[in-house]
Amino acid sequence: MAGNQLPGRKMRLPSRTMLTKDRIVTLILFLPSLVLVGYFVYVTIGWNVVVSLSDWKGLTPSYNIVGFDQYTRLFQDPTFFTALKNNLVLILLFVPGSLFLGLFLAILLDLKVRGEGVFRGIYLLPFALSFVVTAVLWAWMYNPSIGVINTLLMKTGLGFLKSGWITDPNVGLYCVVLAIIWQFSGYTMLIFLAGIRSIPESQMMAAEVDGASGFDLYRLVVIPQLKAPALSAFVVLMVFALKAFDFIFVLTDYSDYTYILPLMMFRETFSMNRFSYGAAIATILFLLALVIVVPYLYLSFRREKE
Amino acid sequence: MRFPKPRRVTLYILLVFFAFLFLLPLWTCITTSFKPVHDVIYTTPVELPLSPTAEPLITALNIMQRPLLNSFTFTISAMILSCLLGSINGYILTKIRFRGSDTVFLFFSIGIFIPYQAVLVPLVLTMSKLGLFNHIEGLILTHTAYGIPITTLLFRNFYGVIPNSLIMAAKTDGAGTWTIYRRIVLPLSLLPFVVAAVFQFTSIWNDFLFGVALARGSEAQPASVALANLRGTTEFQWNVQMAGTLWYALPVLVIFFVLGKYLMRGYMAGAVKG
Amino acid sequence: MVSVAIINLTKTYGTTAAIKDLNLEIKDGEFFIFLGPSGCGKTTTLLCIAGLLKPDKGEVWLGNELVTSSERDVYVTPQKREVAMMFQDYAIYPHMTVFNNIAFPLEVRGEDKSEIVKRVTATANLLGLSQLLDRKPRQLSGGQRQRVALGRAIVRKPKVFLLDEPLANLDAKLRVKTRTDLKKLQRELGVTTVYVTHDQVEAMTMADRIMVQRDGVTEQIGTPEELYNHPANLFVAGFIGSPEMNFTDCTLIKEGARLWLDAREFKTPVPTQVAPKLESYVGEDLIMGIRPEDLYERKSVKGSTQKNALRMTVDIIEPVGPYLLLHLRKGRCSLVARVKHTTARVGQEVDIEMDPSKMHIFDKKTAKAII
Ligand SMILES: Nc1ncnc2c1ncn2[C@@H]1O[C@H](COP(=O)(O)OP(=O)(O)OP(=O)(O)O)[C@@H](O)[C@H]1O
Ligand SMILES: [Mg+2]
Repeated sequence: MAGNQLPGRKMRLPSRTMLTKDRIVTLILFLPSLVLVGYFVYVTIGWNVVVSLSDWKGLTPSYNIVGFDQYTRLFQDPTFFTALKNNLVLILLFVPGSLFLGLFLAILLDLKVRGEGVFRGIYLLPFALSFVVTAVLWAWMYNPSIGVINTLLMKTGLGFLKSGWITDPNVGLYCVVLAIIWQFSGYTMLIFLAGIRSIPESQMMAAEVDGASGFDLYRLVVIPQLKAPALSAFVVLMVFALKAFDFIFVLTDYSDYTYILPLMMFRETFSMNRFSYGAAIATILFLLALVIVVPYLYLSFRREKE
Repeated sequence: MRFPKPRRVTLYILLVFFAFLFLLPLWTCITTSFKPVHDVIYTTPVELPLSPTAEPLITALNIMQRPLLNSFTFTISAMILSCLLGSINGYILTKIRFRGSDTVFLFFSIGIFIPYQAVLVPLVLTMSKLGLFNHIEGLILTHTAYGIPITTLLFRNFYGVIPNSLIMAAKTDGAGTWTIYRRIVLPLSLLPFVVAAVFQFTSIWNDFLFGVALARGSEAQPASVALANLRGTTEFQWNVQMAGTLWYALPVLVIFFVLGKYLMRGYMAGAVKG
Repeated sequence: MVSVAIINLTKTYGTTAAIKDLNLEIKDGEFFIFLGPSGCGKTTTLLCIAGLLKPDKGEVWLGNELVTSSERDVYVTPQKREVAMMFQDYAIYPHMTVFNNIAFPLEVRGEDKSEIVKRVTATANLLGLSQLLDRKPRQLSGGQRQRVALGRAIVRKPKVFLLDEPLANLDAKLRVKTRTDLKKLQRELGVTTVYVTHDQVEAMTMADRIMVQRDGVTEQIGTPEELYNHPANLFVAGFIGSPEMNFTDCTLIKEGARLWLDAREFKTPVPTQVAPKLESYVGEDLIMGIRPEDLYERKSVKGSTQKNALRMTVDIIEPVGPYLLLHLRKGRCSLVARVKHTTARVGQEVDIEMDPSKMHIFDKKTAKAII
């Protein structure tokens, strides 16, 4: 029986491994998504790069390729550097701000709080809202004449703290940062809380027996184990900070002091009709996002494989 | 672990303080929506109206009615389409698999994170070519396409826990790819469909960038864009602005209060926004 | 009902070889069992037969039909193989009622509504599931689920049953009962059955033939009696039988014309009828094996003519059902003997003798059985 050919066996109906019916079905099912994602994500990104290498200006498309002209112009444009600087300030304040506030709130909620669900809901609520909604809400908060903050300051005898807030070029950017921290810290709280809850209770108890207590317990036992949630929240916040548009566009329009790259891209493209110039800014934004996202995706993919 | 008494009091003071900060903008929005102009000027925003009126809400609704309807139309359509496609993709990527399916998934995942500015110019050109610029259908197509990566991720995570033996059993029972999806996978997908639908509804409803780029001043204008415009045209009528905001935020608020649990699951799946 | 043939089957996951060059022919209507410890490749082999897994090399035949061959690029999908598989976790469709679970393979094949009802009802009657047809799987006990999975497998009259540890999740009592039921059912249906287990008692009681696998390699194929009485190597000898066979290191020596096994603590003559097979091993290290039931306390065998008794100390006396297990020790040699009764107490010495014709001898280097 050990032979390669069994006696008396006739091959019957050998079906080949080629295109079976099931494979065709799979292809048909998968094709729409493949085409949509392929076109709307990858072809358009490529197309955008092509536009950025052209000299298209005005309303009729032109694909006269001029190379890196738009990029050289960009690097000589002072408004680009203003936008870049503002973008960096935004990232440097917003990302750590949201992470810390979120972590703080998560720890507070982890302390066996009565009504935890209610507080969690309240903190997360802003994240569910549209940026347009929050922009209008904060415009009202920041309104210098009858807005919420100034009125409250007056009523509580803190009138000397009154400010032009969002309309004041000196603090406008910080006002934006504050508002988006308000919107995002609920999200980071949620991510951290899930991370904390995935640490086995027995570990906390062991540490307590070892004499750690209160915030020490968090500093020594919990926080060091929150690297993974911190990383994914970090990536989400970074990517958002790069492309934040809606909120600032609605709140302050194109004011200098809150001018960041995505706003510049939109304005150059759709207000000034400098399509190739806008496309160059978009390409830079895309590359910056890629630098953050690809290592992250690669890491999480490898972890999943294990 | 239990803190001593005074520290627990501090804890609750902190929690309530933050709750106040987080709710303040929304609270003033609600109060102001019910205030006549006089009350807006003569009461602090946190106070309840002296003589409550629905006037601002009615005015705002008159302006926002059409855009709200538009938003409902394309949001629900794109939500359904992207969830269906995401479910099929999740099934194929976890249970059918083919050479390179992990790579395909990686490329899909990048689509979750790209700044949409990077596709905006070609997107506008494409929609004009297709004759879908300033059309609801254009928004449906756009939101469906850019929704696929995240719904695929969500469904893939959920389908990862359906035992492979179930699929293998169905195969030996004689079921093909489509039958297995229809008869086994789909009926087990209620939870991921709720999570993905809730997630997609809020993110499409909340979108501004695609709306402003593809249907700014037209018949197809989404509510988000209409609200931003309202802010320009009713500069000093804060009560109308707040009322418009309330109308626009209402569906999301309802979802948050009724299905918030599922929305959180969506957020925790590594999802993004913006 | 067909035979199953597997030729040179090989499957590797990364660097671990799950199956190495397997050759096997299962006869038409046979109850064939894959037996082996966890991770030895039993499930992998079943999946290859079902077509749920493509092997790296080799062929699978169902009767006269070649269904898998990587060399000849033949692959028949599981849907077309007419093979029914029962999974270790039962893989019952959780959203369907018992009726719909059992009906599923018929519906998928497009049978008539009335035919489906008829056959599902008959199957349910056969398995005692008639009262449960409207229940959902989560409302069933483990044993009931097991029967639903079985029902789904038999309802469509497949050519081959593949059962992957179908009894592993049942409690001990139910397992014994189900064992008999299953065997009877297989006899009645006459369907070729491949059954996977790591429980040797299950294998010995149910199988027509058994294949013992280890680390993807076939150790022995044979009837339960063959495996029990003539294990091909140390692994099979140790794996089959409970309590386990006793093994003792020894050397083969020749004194005059006679061959002796010298285990330091004792010496025993090699029976003359097997002596020729051992001639060439004189001076070599061997392992002697003897089953606990082939050891006797001297007094218990009246009129025995054996003189090769061994005086050993009783360490533990363990009652197992109608038997007693005597754990015995002498020097570095320890043995377990299974006896009906004994007068000995723990700590006392007893004389133990063995039936030399029941002795197994293995080559220590190759672990293969010599006799
Ligand atoms: N999908 C897989 N990827 C990698 N290795 C696998 C995979 N499936 C099985 N293996 C490995 O192949 C070997 C054989 O696995 P198999 O499932 O056939 O064992 P088994 O005999 O059925 O064990 P058990 O009694 O535990 O079910 C094991 O070492 C296992 O770790
Ligand atoms: Mg197994």
